[in-house]
Amino acid sequence: MKLLRHLILPLLVLTFPEVAHAHLISTRFGEFYSGLLHPLTTLVHIVPWLALAMFASMQGKAFARRTLPLFPLAVGLGVILGYSLGGYQDVLILNIISFVVLGALVALSRPIPRYAGLAAVLLFAISHGYANGDVDLAHGSLTLYVVGVTSAAYIVVTLGAGAAATLSEKATWGRIVLRALGSWILASGLIYGGFELMGISGA
Amino acid sequence: MINTTSHSIARLLLLLVLAGWSTVSLAHAEVGVAGGLVSGLLHPIFGLDHLLAMIAVGLWGAQLGMPAIYLLPITFPVVMAMGGLLGVIGMPLPHIEIGIALSGLALGAMIATNTRPALWIAATLVGLFAVFHGHAHGAEMPNAANPLAYGIGFVISTGLLHLTGIMIGLLIRWPIGAVVIRVCGAVISAFGMFFMVSSFGLVS
Repeated sequence: MKLLRHLILPLLVLTFPEVAHAHLISTRFGEFYSGLLHPLTTLVHIVPWLALAMFASMQGKAFARRTLPLFPLAVGLGVILGYSLGGYQDVLILNIISFVVLGALVALSRPIPRYAGLAAVLLFAISHGYANGDVDLAHGSLTLYVVGVTSAAYIVVTLGAGAAATLSEKATWGRIVLRALGSWILASGLIYGGFELMGISGA
Repeated sequence: MINTTSHSIARLLLLLVLAGWSTVSLAHAEVGVAGGLVSGLLHPIFGLDHLLAMIAVGLWGAQLGMPAIYLLPITFPVVMAMGGLLGVIGMPLPHIEIGIALSGLALGAMIATNTRPALWIAATLVGLFAVFHGHAHGAEMPNAANPLAYGIGFVISTGLLHLTGIMIGLLIRWPIGAVVIRVCGAVISAFGMFFMVSSFGLVS
């Protein structure tokens, strides 16, 4: 009987849990962390962003230096557009195309005209930002959310481009590794595009 | 009193120990991003016909040297993805099992005989076989798995198997290593022959 009482009481207590608010994801800077984690935990964003970072490093340091501020700022603009004018699902086709185009550019490892490259960076940054911005923040702060997504874009493209540049400079096989990774991303993009065309959605 | 308490504790401990030995039920396997990724990663590894053909691509690339050592493994996943698309959209590909078996048989034979065709011929041959492998992967995706994660999983797995082949192929710098590579090719070819005979239903 004692044992039953000792078991039932804790079980009853356990059935009335309260939110701990131990993690700031739901308080104070919550939208910042939400914005930061949204692209980092979504394959459809993180994979092409890494491809973009590799592409930027392979196009030379001057190109990479322009990409580092351009990409996150354009992503931030895209988030604002997505939040304000959300619902245009056709824009998201650009995210699928970004897999294929960026993967192919990395796999081919050919220099392309600077303006064409920067236009591609700008276009894909806005489309990915748009997808991240098409969310319901309820009464949360849009500013914090935009800063979060923009920070994620900056972190990914900076670390990714830095790692790719170091790899291709320090190791003789570095560029081959990058090209192989590009082909993997291209292949994944083709499969992803196929699934989306078939209406089998997933990211 | 002490006796009753110790029995209760013993019962609790027994329950805890039994709970600690619980095994994974796998009641919801291959679900979501993690399930799709794991499923995609394991698909080429658990199929011996896929596994040997992927290793053969890397091995043959290493045997042919630059630039085939990286061009063949770069070509394969891209064309495989196109084959995967055909599988996803449900487009039938005739004699798919024979095609996969033939890939092991032919690529193994190329390695065993140290055949060195022009690069475009090697890439075309590898690409042709990649369509069959991709179709099989695309058609066999678990319904509940995240499709993008599944695709990424099987592309990574395929790439790592190519890398395994390349690593073995690096033995080519030693004379005995070159022989080992050719023996590996012969073994892969023999397995390919077995898969071929199996696909005709002659052995089970």
